[in-house]
Amino acid sequence: MISLTFYILLHWLIVLAGAPLFLGVIPRVKAVISGRRGPSVFQPYYDLARLFQKKTVYSRTTTWLFRAAPIVALASVLMVSLVVPFCVFKAPIQFTGDILLVAYLLALARFFMIIAALDTGYSMEGMGASREAFFSCLSELTLFMNFITLALLAHNISLSRMIGADIPVSWQMAGPALLMAAGSLFVVLLAENCRLPVDDPDTHLELTMIHEVMILEHGGVDLAYMHYAAGIKMFIFAAILVPILLPWQTGNVLQNWAIFCGGMMGLALLVGVVESTMARFRLNRVKHFLLISFALAFFGFIVALWRI
Amino acid sequence: MTIWIDAACILVVFFSLSILAAYRIGGMIQMFAVQSLVLSFMPVLMHSHALSLRDILLSLGTMVLKAVLVPYILFWAIRHVSMRSEVKPIIGIGSSIVCGALLIAGSFWVSSSVTFPGKIASDLVIPCSLATVLLGFMIMVTRTRAVTQVVGYLVMENGIFLFALSLFDAMPILIEMGILLDIFAAVFIMAIVVNHINEEFERSPAAVKRWSKMGESI
Repeated sequence: MISLTFYILLHWLIVLAGAPLFLGVIPRVKAVISGRRGPSVFQPYYDLARLFQKKTVYSRTTTWLFRAAPIVALASVLMVSLVVPFCVFKAPIQFTGDILLVAYLLALARFFMIIAALDTGYSMEGMGASREAFFSCLSELTLFMNFITLALLAHNISLSRMIGADIPVSWQMAGPALLMAAGSLFVVLLAENCRLPVDDPDTHLELTMIHEVMILEHGGVDLAYMHYAAGIKMFIFAAILVPILLPWQTGNVLQNWAIFCGGMMGLALLVGVVESTMARFRLNRVKHFLLISFALAFFGFIVALWRI
Repeated sequence: MTIWIDAACILVVFFSLSILAAYRIGGMIQMFAVQSLVLSFMPVLMHSHALSLRDILLSLGTMVLKAVLVPYILFWAIRHVSMRSEVKPIIGIGSSIVCGALLIAGSFWVSSSVTFPGKIASDLVIPCSLATVLLGFMIMVTRTRAVTQVVGYLVMENGIFLFALSLFDAMPILIEMGILLDIFAAVFIMAIVVNHINEEFERSPAAVKRWSKMGESI
């Protein structure tokens, strides 16, 4: 019992320490590509520390839902992180069918964010909430399609097994399927975490943004919770994607850990490159982008079925 | 080498799907060029163990004709016709993508019950070529502009090319080259015809009015 508590705390420590770093690498990469020096990679830590020192202000039109949303969002993603293995740190909680828990806890966090945005009564937040609901519907479709493919290849529906030791065998047997699953998971990562081709995380123009507009009314500690939850969500998606792309397992614990960390940094680099080379899609094209990723995931599923 | 053939097959189908989802004619042609480029490596990949002059010739011919010349002519056509750059689909792009995914599933289902004589480089070649043919057909029937229909036809032909490559040993190179030349000629004639129609309409405004009343455009 004590050891389980220890593992859970260790897992949370990795997530809480790693997520802001992951978020900090991306703006740095973007700055370097565009020829500037850019902020330090530790900037998200400073931002979060600053926000945690601030007092929160609540509008009189909001209800308890608005106050609950940041806590629920952070709590849900922290719970999700317990199911995801981080290389040598095995997932403290794993059981058959825990991928459903992952998907639905993420959906719960999103639901509370949407309902809190609607709770403010501000029309821009309502627009953001509507877009978030629509796009996340489509990206969830892709996410589930990929989970089905991975489950099919691993003959198991526990996340730790699906992205675990069976991946090298699956690459041998159905490499193209895994390649397509990884590609469409990357699109899901960009879409779910409001990265550039779908949503611009830097802009504060309400007409074009999705995630940022939903947290406009949050301030202080609440905003810090929201940012932290968003960062952890991205970290989790990356931690699901990296073992698929880099399945090598050496005997050495340190080497494994180095491969995992290198993969995470590489993924942050890739997101930065994508963000600096692509422009935002027009809003009515985003759904086509997400549908393409779904078609890719579906194609991967068919190839997996074909090869099995 | 099988992994490279698999990757190329999947890229070909993926580019057909992207062409189906494109909303600009220029983007469609660019993606067709990339698809043809991927396809042009196939003869070399499939016979990498015993490379002959014939494979290299076919690769180079495909590359020059389909990945460079045909896209160039198509771009020339859309530049001279001064048409609007948007694709005009009959059914929406979203539903096209979903239909495309179903077509891919269907082609895999059909080819699971088809057996071909002889050795095939990878088991993905036949279903992927069938999927490309079907997707090209879909592009052809659901996009109304002349140039987009030509692109659909070319994608369909790419699928047939992929299919023919698996029966490569049974087919003389002259026939392959003849087919390539035919396509080249067809695209060339299309570009000239479209250009002439446009010039004709530019001369008589009444014809343009009549044409636009019919709700058609080139």
